[in-house]
Amino acid sequence: MQKDLEEKFLLDFEQNQNIAHKICRLYTTNQSAHNDLFQEITIQLWKNYPKFRGDSKFSTWMYRVALNTAISLYRKSTRTVKTQDISDFAYKIKATDYDDTEEIQLKALYKAIHKLNDIEKALIFLYLEDKPYKEISETLGISSVNARVKMNRAKEKLKNILNP
Amino acid sequence: MDLLDNYKKAWENQPEHADKVSSIEIYKLAQSKSSSIVKWIFIIGILEFIFLNSIYFFVDMEDAMIEYKNLGLENFILYSQIATYIILFYFLWMFYQNYKKISTIESTKTLMTKILKTRKTVRNYVIFNLGYITLFMIVITIAKVNTNLNDFNNKQLLILIIVTIIATLLFLGVVWLFYQLLYGILLRKLNRNYKELAKLDNAK
Repeated sequence: MQKDLEEKFLLDFEQNQNIAHKICRLYTTNQSAHNDLFQEITIQLWKNYPKFRGDSKFSTWMYRVALNTAISLYRKSTRTVKTQDISDFAYKIKATDYDDTEEIQLKALYKAIHKLNDIEKALIFLYLEDKPYKEISETLGISSVNARVKMNRAKEKLKNILNP
Repeated sequence: MDLLDNYKKAWENQPEHADKVSSIEIYKLAQSKSSSIVKWIFIIGILEFIFLNSIYFFVDMEDAMIEYKNLGLENFILYSQIATYIILFYFLWMFYQNYKKISTIESTKTLMTKILKTRKTVRNYVIFNLGYITLFMIVITIAKVNTNLNDFNNKQLLILIIVTIIATLLFLGVVWLFYQLLYGILLRKLNRNYKELAKLDNAK
């Protein structure tokens, strides 16, 4: 990669890294797996950045590459699933101006999403991130109608887990 | 208000990840080695090509050739070897082409399809090789029976044929089982997700 492109990538990624962290937290259940997946996402983004034309936002492009890495390329997570609970390790949360109920809700939400399959996770994640159906269907490679149908099912499933 | 709306609000207000990485760390991470499933498929695929083609080095080819000549099979060996090399290069080329097309900037479904297609190229090559080995065993057995027809009585002939069949089947079975296990483990998650995505796209 050219020097200026490298610098642009580092800047773009540093600003948007939270997307990758959220995906790692959804698809892994412990810190070392989180770091592994984060590393693989970084490698994939770096490798493909020269092909990023900038006709969409960097973040939109990043959602796709990062989710693809989590769903299709990353393998280690299957071994660590169910061995450790999300609350077993510390996700430091800033105490200032942070509502306690939302913190509890957030933890419950992550815990519930962990019970979904990889595709449902992606659907729910994109819903939580307020992505339009067009973008969701393009990211996953399915029709808009099917994205909608499956989204409703995933939401129902999530609701049942959250509020049995 | 919908139950999920509350949670969505909590999601939107979630703080940034505590251990943010700096651009220097990002740079270092980007230079590290990928351990992705695609890379493993590539490595294992190449190893399979090497393994299947190195079996010949463990056989004393000169001795084998004399034996083939005695059986009158030198033409079969020569032409079938040429054919297998042409086919090997075809498969290697297809494998590399399919591998190169894999890209994480595609949609999830396209990406999965391409990964599975690359793997199938290697699988087809293995099937081809197993087929070739079977054909080879059959031809050798028939030739042996034909040349030594007078030395054997019927019982010995029958035993020879049965032993050959069992040995071939056993060999094929072991290779196939090993193969299923290897890719079964490697691609379990991918296959499951692909099925999930395919199911979802078919369900109207």
